[in-house]
Amino acid sequence: MTPTRGGDSGSLDPDPASVERIRQVLIRAVERHCPPALAAHREDLVQMALVRLLERPGAGEGTNPRGASYLWRVAYTVVIDEIRRFRRQQRQAEQASGGERVTPGPEARSELLACLDALQDRRRTAVILHLQGFKTGEVASALGWTEKQAENLVYRGLADLRACLGGGER
Amino acid sequence: MTEPSDDLEQRFRDALPDPGERDCPPADAFWAAAAGELPFDQVRALVDHGARCARCAEAWRILADVRRAAAASDTVGANPPPPVPLGPAAPARAWARRRALVPLAVSALAATVVWTVLRPSPPGAPAVERGNGAGTTLRAESPPVQPANEALLRWSEVPGASSYNVTVLTPDLVVVHQAVGVSARELRLPEGVRRRAAGGGLLWNVDAVLPDGRTVASPTFELKLKER
Repeated sequence: MTPTRGGDSGSLDPDPASVERIRQVLIRAVERHCPPALAAHREDLVQMALVRLLERPGAGEGTNPRGASYLWRVAYTVVIDEIRRFRRQQRQAEQASGGERVTPGPEARSELLACLDALQDRRRTAVILHLQGFKTGEVASALGWTEKQAENLVYRGLADLRACLGGGER
Repeated sequence: MTEPSDDLEQRFRDALPDPGERDCPPADAFWAAAAGELPFDQVRALVDHGARCARCAEAWRILADVRRAAAASDTVGANPPPPVPLGPAAPARAWARRRALVPLAVSALAATVVWTVLRPSPPGAPAVERGNGAGTTLRAESPPVQPANEALLRWSEVPGASSYNVTVLTPDLVVVHQAVGVSARELRLPEGVRRRAAGGGLLWNVDAVLPDGRTVASPTFELKLKER
């Protein structure tokens, strides 16, 4: 990446209350969605991520804030980067200590994933987002559909998925 | 309404393999996808990746939570006042008190709706609307196919914008260039980026930054670079 800056300064310029709110949301999200071994480090992970966010060029210095939405976006990306970095460090530490880590081999495709693969493109995309926790309105926003379209595609996709699984579970 | 799918959600999570961190897209690509900034094919590729990789599925689920909280912050402000706790005893009294508050709550709700509809844009609640702004749209004004050695991005003016932020990505959504605070309505791609993308394609988008901090976002545009 080759970031450059133009004449006017763009900056994150976060206020402490926003940062604290984002911190709490990220901590809760990591706690909810990450495996326990990683979630145990949620406070440190999020703290490190926010430090990186605030260290970014322009953070806190400008007169031209880029807005709360941008701050949330950057906070999300730095926390995911931090989780990835944490996992890499853990793996390196395990390798350095001679610990044998099982490298995941070719996975036997689960029946559910095979059934997902068999869905029509639009239904599959809608259903996967739904299974990742997106509401129909959010699926619609991501895919440029109306909410009604998204709801129909999730509904029909889930029905197809259940039918496929039902067939396999006889 | 869709049927409850808690059982499927759990099965889905349990079924996801962990192939390690190979070819995982950058986190910002997930955000861009969820924000409706990418064409369907790219969103589909990112979503499909999340169904083959436990780690990216985790990133998607965190994304759902974070975007919901961000949207709530934009709507109600970052620090809504905490609810007033009712006393632990005398539930009947509490109920009577709540009933007495109903007209007040209805008035407050009506006032909030009126305020939400009529208020000027507040500096503390900027919104990003990628490509679907109600009145203002950002269009690409540079040709979609250009010679690699002269590639120039140009976009339409957003009245009142104080600067523009431009992001250039590869077709697989790796950010290769970002220009922040650009005063002009054009940007010449650096040589490194042009060389890297020569003979192929790039994606780009631009955010107009307004003086009050709000951002008007463009759709994502394609650019093909021809080699001479």
